[in-house]
Amino acid sequence: MNHPGELISAYLDGELTRPEIDQLFDHLSACGRCAAEMQGMQSVRSAVRSLPLLELPAGLVPEADAEVVPLRRNRGFLVGAAAAIVALVIAVAAIVTPSTAAISVEELSSRYGARASLDPAFGPAKVIVPQLMDLE
Amino acid sequence: MTESVPLTWEEVARVYGRKIYNFAYRLTGNSDDAADLVQEVLLRVRKGLAAYQPGSFEGWLWRITRNAFLDDIRRRNRRPTAPLPDEVDRWVVASAASADVEYSRISIGDDVQKALLELPYEFREAVVLCDIVGLSYDEIARAVAVPVGTVRSRIHRGRRLLRESLT
Repeated sequence: MNHPGELISAYLDGELTRPEIDQLFDHLSACGRCAAEMQGMQSVRSAVRSLPLLELPAGLVPEADAEVVPLRRNRGFLVGAAAAIVALVIAVAAIVTPSTAAISVEELSSRYGARASLDPAFGPAKVIVPQLMDLE
Repeated sequence: MTESVPLTWEEVARVYGRKIYNFAYRLTGNSDDAADLVQEVLLRVRKGLAAYQPGSFEGWLWRITRNAFLDDIRRRNRRPTAPLPDEVDRWVVASAASADVEYSRISIGDDVQKALLELPYEFREAVVLCDIVGLSYDEIARAVAVPVGTVRSRIHRGRRLLRESLT
């Protein structure tokens, strides 16, 4: 019997055509050895894929660090900044268009938090607290 | 896998730096070598990005990564001529298996990592590009410059050896 061993791994990786899948399963239904190999390949594949994805050493690629570091360093500030912006938007919305409720607090907080984490230029200078104070 | 092209070198570094690091670490079991490779690859990407022709960005990037990795092995091997792939493999396995310092860099009980290091280079590379990096067979074929059928064969034979090693 010709055992289609390579089709097993390719099947697990989603790399087979429909006729190849049919060929493989026709064979598996009649071959206990290949059915066992399918299980073995599946567990090996899972074992390799479950290896932890390691973090880049800090400072190795500053461009990569920029994505993460500001959020961690300025977490407290960002939460405050986002809250200030939310308050500002709500206040303006209440004054200009009282019926508008287009965005949730969570959505805005999340949006600005994500933006700040990706764009180092987005920072304290962009938050104009005095305006908020004036509105209150 | 995306075919879109990152616009800037910084985006390449941000999106792929960690993947390149994991690729190299799983091939060598050595964090210092992996860190060196990330820097070398990003340097090559920076030089080559301007001349990049739209196509398979993943294939292009991983071909650069693979070539940088093999160049690094050749340099460390201090041989006047480029080693054949099986010689490359012996160097990596020997360096990982002979020196205590190398063993100390592999976490205790990490049987899968050890089993990976015992694979012949071509099989290890194919398995890592597939299961760690997440490339399709077609992208691996482009990166390694072999037919897709060869990729399929290497991945399966690599997994077979891993299973033997782990059971």
